[in-house]
Amino acid sequence: MTDEAGADAKLVKMIVFAVGDQEYCIPILSVREIRGFEKTTALPFAPHYVCGAINLRGIILTVIDLAVYLNVEPQADNPRRVVIIVESRNGTVCGLLVDRVIDMADVNLSDIQAVAEEDSSLSGLVMIADRMIGVLRLEVVVGQLVGGMIS
Amino acid sequence: MSGDMDDILLVFFQECEEQLQELERGLSALSDGESGKETINAVFRAVHSIKGGAASFGLENLVRFAHVFESSLDGLRSGRVAPTPEIVKTFLKAMDVLSDLVAEAQGGAAVDQGRIAESQTELEAIIGEGGGSAPAAKQEDVIPADFVPVPMDFEPVMADFDFGDFGLEEDAPAAAALVVTFSPHTAMYDRGDDARNLLIGLADVAVAHGGTSTVTCETAALPALADMKTEQSYLSWRVVLPASVPEESVHAVFDWVSDVCDVTISREGGSDPDGGEPAPEEPTPALVEDPAPATFKAETEPAAATPDLQPHPASASVVEKIMAELPPPPTAAASAPIAAGNTAAVRRPVEQATIRVDLHRVDDLMDLVGELVIAQAALESIGQREEGGQQEMIKRIASMKTLTRDIQDAVMAVRAQPVRSVFQRMQRVVREACSMTHKDVVLTLEGEDTEVDRTLVEKLSDPLTHMLRNAVDHGIESAEDRIAAGKSPTGQILLSAGHRSGRILITIKDDGGGINHERVLAIAIKRGIVAPDAVLTDDEINNLIFAPGFSTATTVSDLSGRGVGMDVVKQAILGLGGRVTISSVQGEGTTFCLSLPLTLAVLDGMLIVAAGSTMVVPVSSVVETMMVNHKDIYMLPDGANVVSIRGVCMPLIPLASELGLGGYGTSRGLSEDDVILVVENESGARAALIVEDIRDQAQVVIKSIEKNYRQMPGVSAATILGDGSVSLILDVPALVANALGRIDTRPSDVRTGIAA
Repeated sequence: MTDEAGADAKLVKMIVFAVGDQEYCIPILSVREIRGFEKTTALPFAPHYVCGAINLRGIILTVIDLAVYLNVEPQADNPRRVVIIVESRNGTVCGLLVDRVIDMADVNLSDIQAVAEEDSSLSGLVMIADRMIGVLRLEVVVGQLVGGMIS
Repeated sequence: MSGDMDDILLVFFQECEEQLQELERGLSALSDGESGKETINAVFRAVHSIKGGAASFGLENLVRFAHVFESSLDGLRSGRVAPTPEIVKTFLKAMDVLSDLVAEAQGGAAVDQGRIAESQTELEAIIGEGGGSAPAAKQEDVIPADFVPVPMDFEPVMADFDFGDFGLEEDAPAAAALVVTFSPHTAMYDRGDDARNLLIGLADVAVAHGGTSTVTCETAALPALADMKTEQSYLSWRVVLPASVPEESVHAVFDWVSDVCDVTISREGGSDPDGGEPAPEEPTPALVEDPAPATFKAETEPAAATPDLQPHPASASVVEKIMAELPPPPTAAASAPIAAGNTAAVRRPVEQATIRVDLHRVDDLMDLVGELVIAQAALESIGQREEGGQQEMIKRIASMKTLTRDIQDAVMAVRAQPVRSVFQRMQRVVREACSMTHKDVVLTLEGEDTEVDRTLVEKLSDPLTHMLRNAVDHGIESAEDRIAAGKSPTGQILLSAGHRSGRILITIKDDGGGINHERVLAIAIKRGIVAPDAVLTDDEINNLIFAPGFSTATTVSDLSGRGVGMDVVKQAILGLGGRVTISSVQGEGTTFCLSLPLTLAVLDGMLIVAAGSTMVVPVSSVVETMMVNHKDIYMLPDGANVVSIRGVCMPLIPLASELGLGGYGTSRGLSEDDVILVVENESGARAALIVEDIRDQAQVVIKSIEKNYRQMPGVSAATILGDGSVSLILDVPALVANALGRIDTRPSDVRTGIAA
C-alpha cells in the first residue's frame, strides 16, 4: 500500500495478466479463482470469441478467449495459459482465457487515463512500473455473453 | 434485532399460509355437509391463530377482519348457527378476503375496502343471527389502544416530564401506588421480545383496575452515540401503576421474560414514606425554563423520586452536572432500537423459500449419507492395500452406485410436496370465476396427496388457473343451457392428480358442452391459423385451441377469451417437460390431461455424438434409432432433405450443421457410420436427427446454462458427464419445430406428397 497517496485517491488492487504481448488488468475482487485451461465443450451459435463451456464444480460457465476477443495475436502453444474465473457485478460468472498471469498491483483510480468510448471493453490505460497496462471493463466483456437470444 | 423480527414475521406468514390451507380444507369439508365438531374447531382455530399472530405484529386490518370472522365462526362452534350452504359460502368469501389481507400484510396489493366491508357485513349478519355477543361490543375490543404503537416509547421525554410532574402532585393521596421498574437484558430483544409489549401489558393492567399508568424511561445507562452498540439494551423503564393493582397481575406481565429482564416491584408509599416531599426539592422551574435536550428531563424525574436525593441541591449545579453526564444526542439513540423493530415490520419477505419436511425423510437421508461415508472408508482401505484389491474395489463401487441412487431418491423425496397447496388454491379460482360468470360450478379434487417436486408444484399454479378459468368460462354452459340439455344446473369440474409410469398425470375434466368442432375450425380458418381447405381430424381440431391467437369466445370476458390463455398454458407445460392432451365429447364435456415429469433435476438421456462432441437427447423424445440408408433420402427443391422410414417421410436434420458447429455435417455429407435418431415432439410430429454415434444411455443431472450465458436455439440445458466435461442437452421440440415450420399441423403427410 502506498500511504503517500492523496486524500481523494482510491487504490484498487488489480490482477495483471498478459494476452499476447499486451498486458491488461481487472480488479482482483471480481476474480473468483484461477485454474488451468482444459478442454471446453463447443457451444452452438456462439460468438467466435467464446471457446466453449467448462464445468466448475457443478456450475457450467463459458470461457472467453480474450486474445480473440481483444483481437491480439495469442502466444502460440503457451503451456501457461490459464482461465481466470471472474464474477461480474450482476452475478454472471465466466472464465477469461489469458496467456499468463503476471502479478498484482495497486492502481490509483485517478491514475487511470480514460479512453474515449463509454461502452468499450477497455475502460482506460494505466502505467505500472513503466509498463502500459489496459484496464478491462468487465461488465462490458461479460455482459455480452448474457442477454438476448441470438437468432 | 431487526433480523430477528424479520425471521419471526417470516414464520408468522408461513404459519398463515398453513392456517389458510387448514381453513380451506375445513370449509370445503363443511360445504360437503360434514359438520363435525372437529372440523368446526379446526376452522375456528385457524382463524384464531391468524388473528393472534397478526395482533402481536400490529397488523390492524388483518386483526380487525379476523376478529369479526372469528366471532361469526363462534356462532357455528356453539351451535347457534347451522352451517347452511349460504353461510359456508359467506365463510368461503371471507376466507378469500382474509387470505388477501394476509398477502397485503406481506407487502402485496392493498385489498379493496369495499370487499372487506361487504364480507364483514355478511359475517356480522351471521353473528346477529346467532344471537350471540353483540358485534358492536366485540368490535371495540379488537382495536384497543394498545395496538397503536405506544408513543411513549419513541418520545419518552415529553411524556415523562408531564407524567412525573403530574404524578408528584397527585401521588400524595394515593401514596401506595405500585412502582414497577424493569430493565430488559439484551437477551430479551434477541428473543424477539420487546419492552413495548411489557409496557402494553402494564397499561392493560392499569386500565383493568380503573386507573392509568405513568411511564418513565431511564436513559442514564445510555453511552454516547459513538460508543453505543446497536444490539445492546441500555434503557430501563419505571412505571407507576394505580394503588388498586395487585402485585400478582404485574408479575403475570413479566412472567415469561423474568429470566431476561430485571424487575423490581415496590409500593411507592413503602420506599418513599413522605411521597410528596421531593416535589419542592425538585428543581422543576429550572427545568421548565431550561432549553436542555428533552431526555435530560427524563433523567431528572426518577432522581426526584429517589429519597436519598440531597435535600438542598443548587438547582443550577444539578442541571449542569446531569447535562455533563448525559450523552450528546440521547433522543436519537434511545429511539434507535425501537425504530429498528418498527422498520422490520415494514420490509417484508415476498416469497417463502423454506419447506417443511417429514422428519423420517431427513432421517432416511441421514442414514444413507452415513452409509456413503462407510463406503468411502472401505474404498480408501482397499486403495491402501497392496494387492488383490481389484475385485473388491469393483464390488464396492457397485454398492456405492446403488447408494448414490438411493440418496438421489431420498433427496427427491425431501423436495417432494403434495399438490394439495396448488389444488386448494384452485377452489378459489373456480369460486371467483363462478361469481364473475354467474354460473354454479362445483370443483372436486382428487389425489391432492400426490407428491411432486417442489419447483413443479409452484409452476403448476399459473397453467392450472388458466385452465380452470377456461373450464368455467367456456367449458361449462350457462344454467339454462344445462337444464335444456337435461343436465343438473350445477356444473362439475374434476381436478385430479396421480402417478402414472414415472410421471405425474393431472386431469381437468368438466361436464360441459365439449368442444364444438365446426365452430373451432371456422374460427381457426377465419384467424388464418389453418388453410381454408384443410381437412382436419377431430383430434387436430381439438389441438387448435392451443394455437397462438386462438379464441372461441365471441365476447372477450374479464376471465378469458383474449386468445392468449391456452397457448400460454401449453408453453408453460412444455417448459416443464410435460405434455397436454385433450379429449372432448360434444355435449358431455372436455378432459385435459397434463403429463409431467416427476422432477426437473434429473433426466434419462441418450448420449450421442455430433460435431465431435457428446450431447444428450432426452430418451422420452426418441422413438427409434436406425442406420442411414441412402436410398431412402430425398432432396427437396429448397435443399433440405427428407427421409422415408417405412413409407413415412420426415425431415432430416443433420444435427451438427443445424447447431452451427464447425460446418461438420454440411461439407462432409452423410457417412456410412452415421446413425438416424427418430425423435418426436409433444404433439407427435417427427423428425430424423443425423448423429455420428450413439454412446450410452444414462441419467443426467440438468444444469442451467442460462444463468451465465444466453439462451441457445436447439439447446435446452447442459449437464456434466462422468469425466467432468460439459455436455449439451438438446431441445428436441425446438429442433423439430424448426424443421417443420410452426403452423403446419400435418407435416409428414404434406411432405410425403411433395417427395413422392
